[in-house]
Amino acid sequence: MTLDRRTLIAGAALGSVLSAPAIAQTFQRDITMVVPWAAGGGTDTLARTLVKNAKQHIGVGINVVNRTGGTGAVGMQSVSTARGDGYTVGLITFHLSAYRLMGLSQLSYRDFQPLALLNRTPAAFSVKADSPFKTLKDLVDYAKANPGVVTIANSGAGANTHLSAAILAKNTGIRLSFVPFDGGAPARTAMVGGHVSALVSGPDEVLQYVKTGQVRFLAMVGEQRHPSFPDVPTVAEAGFPIKEIIYDWRGVAGPKNMPADITRALNDGFAKMANDPDFIALMDQVALPRVYMNGADFTTFLGTMETSLEPALAEVGLLRR
Amino acid sequence: MLDLALLAKGFGTVFQPSHLFILVLGTIGGIIVGALPGLTATMAIALLIPFTFSMGPTAGICMLLAVYTAGIYGGGIASILIRTPGTPAAVVTVLDGYPMAQKGLAGQALGLATVGSGIGGLFSALCLAIFAPLLAAFALRFSAPEFFALAILGLSVTVTLTGRSPLKGALSAAFGLVIAMVGLDPIGGFPRFTFGTTELAGGIAFVPMLIGLFSLSEAFRQIEIIETVERMTAKIGRVVPRINELVVHKWTMLRACLIGITVGVMPSMGPDTAAFMSYAETKRSSDRPDDFGKGEPAGVVAAQTAENASTGGDVLPMITLGVPGDAATAVLMGALIIHNLEPGPLLFRDHADVVHMIFAALIVANISFMVLGLLGARYFAKVLNVDRRLLVPTIVLFSLVGAYALNNNPSDVWVCLIFGIIGYLMQRYDFPISPMVLAVILGAMAESNFRRSLAMSQGDPMIFLSRPIACGILIVALLAAFSAIRRQIALARRVDAAGAR
Repeated sequence: MTLDRRTLIAGAALGSVLSAPAIAQTFQRDITMVVPWAAGGGTDTLARTLVKNAKQHIGVGINVVNRTGGTGAVGMQSVSTARGDGYTVGLITFHLSAYRLMGLSQLSYRDFQPLALLNRTPAAFSVKADSPFKTLKDLVDYAKANPGVVTIANSGAGANTHLSAAILAKNTGIRLSFVPFDGGAPARTAMVGGHVSALVSGPDEVLQYVKTGQVRFLAMVGEQRHPSFPDVPTVAEAGFPIKEIIYDWRGVAGPKNMPADITRALNDGFAKMANDPDFIALMDQVALPRVYMNGADFTTFLGTMETSLEPALAEVGLLRR
Repeated sequence: MLDLALLAKGFGTVFQPSHLFILVLGTIGGIIVGALPGLTATMAIALLIPFTFSMGPTAGICMLLAVYTAGIYGGGIASILIRTPGTPAAVVTVLDGYPMAQKGLAGQALGLATVGSGIGGLFSALCLAIFAPLLAAFALRFSAPEFFALAILGLSVTVTLTGRSPLKGALSAAFGLVIAMVGLDPIGGFPRFTFGTTELAGGIAFVPMLIGLFSLSEAFRQIEIIETVERMTAKIGRVVPRINELVVHKWTMLRACLIGITVGVMPSMGPDTAAFMSYAETKRSSDRPDDFGKGEPAGVVAAQTAENASTGGDVLPMITLGVPGDAATAVLMGALIIHNLEPGPLLFRDHADVVHMIFAALIVANISFMVLGLLGARYFAKVLNVDRRLLVPTIVLFSLVGAYALNNNPSDVWVCLIFGIIGYLMQRYDFPISPMVLAVILGAMAESNFRRSLAMSQGDPMIFLSRPIACGILIVALLAAFSAIRRQIALARRVDAAGAR
């Protein structure tokens, strides 16, 4: 019985890979993809590029709908409660890992069927070119001698950048003055304008300024060096091993109650879209690290994220559980 | 720096028939979208981005810039005709535009609004082309303390917007500040005044609130009189303004242009703030401040000119620093990124031709909506002659659908309805709405930047006085508030004296 079913599933999966009509049969009309953030933002841009060639890959188009509000929870919630017929999927983002821990919403990855992780961005520490800090160790040593004097801009309280800096402060026993901004761009402007000592952001957000020589990377969080920046040491290599690696991430998910064949068709479809040359070109151009994971691996990753987030949120006083 | 040869090449590109056609199409679309409540330029640009995939970057950018500038302008049309601000910035146009239309001067109001917007837009596009690299360097000197000071300067002008009773104006502004506090704490990141609901975690949705306050509340008021007002054919009057009609407003326009571009260049301050500040300053320096709010043409000119004068300013930090000035330019930035043109210091170096094409397209787009707006105004104005029994329900429908369509968030419909009732009651009991709206916009900006500044200075408040730009702006704010209060008192005395006679 089990064997038969597995064979059937494998057969169906093979069929859907081999023949285009079989794919078209899974979906009869266009799929709606809910983006919980405003049109034109990073997540929206990523989503729209991802689904640009959807018709080639799954036989139907995918329409992006921006459903915003409640710091992303409104849009994500609407996906988790949508009908599980596969015609509603959504972008889920880093915030989903933090809602429950921060007491913003009861929503968590457990309410979804994760389909594909698309991007995972580590936090990068950078300074203005004329800064006295040449390495991350310089910054830590100075902060140790002068508690609270080092100001470090981040993209918002509770963001992965803020929490990554908080973990560094906790591990090294230093006191940093965190200056949260409303997004990565104004935080970067404050650093380039010399209004704060350092910046913790996604590496993509300072890329242009590094290229023009106005900004220097000190280190990046991550298990290994960032493929686009092989010269920049990891925080561990800079002398400060970090156990809780916090990533900003973006992925696709559907409601929890989708039938297995629909889930599989979406899994396959998004795998192809994630490997589409147009999508790859955009991601590489803006230096957003492409990290594809299928639904199962993505689910495991989301579990680990919550474990890593808890001590970081506790450190900055945002843990509400 | 501005390269005339490249600019000429940019114009050449824009004037290619296919590009020009798409630009005009974008202008028409932008005007329509801007005029419909709940459909903002921001949304229109976002919705059009997928279509630009197949067009290639040049045509795509032409269309999006046309939609952007025309959408900001178009917001004023519905403000004047049916008191329904199509975009947040158009709220200010309501203040004098709608009374003008009620007095049978709809044509004049639309004409002045169109020409004002066009001149403001052209001015800012030229400023952008000439000063972009210079202003970008200047913008870097601004950070949290300066933004706080600017927000305070903006709030100080609410005194001018209070109408007859300064106390009621102050209460209205205070209510706005309370609303601005709902949502995530901007510095701490924890939920505040959300009563445990997810819907309020992102704060009270701004545009649905505006639609409720201005458009629904007016529909409610109309329902009261719908049976008693007899049907009439509203006069539209001349649309294209005479030269001398414009010359009268030359100082108003110049002031609006300067305020618009300055406010625009500041990140997180957009056309709405520009229009408010220009209106308030025009009213403050006018010989007849009493006439404002009752259909004063200068009020319309001040609002619309500043609104569009901020567009070039908003685009500037976006293309030079990658910091969008407002929501619409944030979306434009997304569009540029999709077309492999990431804004930032490298865009100027690596894609100077595209940057100059953007300048050219902005200039042409402003002329395009000015021409189309003047041609179309007579037809837009026909809406005034629609039977109220049809018009009022239509406005209600558009308001509610618009409130939903913006974020596709059902709770926004409730926000719109609740603020419709609040707006109706406020007007009934003579509380001015504008101070509240301005306080919502600037309250959040003032608070977050105040606390951000203190985070930068480790809690030392001297940061606001030790930085010359911040200190200077704060002094100006203090003087502006002081002079406005003195004027209010003098005005009240004059009114009392007139009453006694």
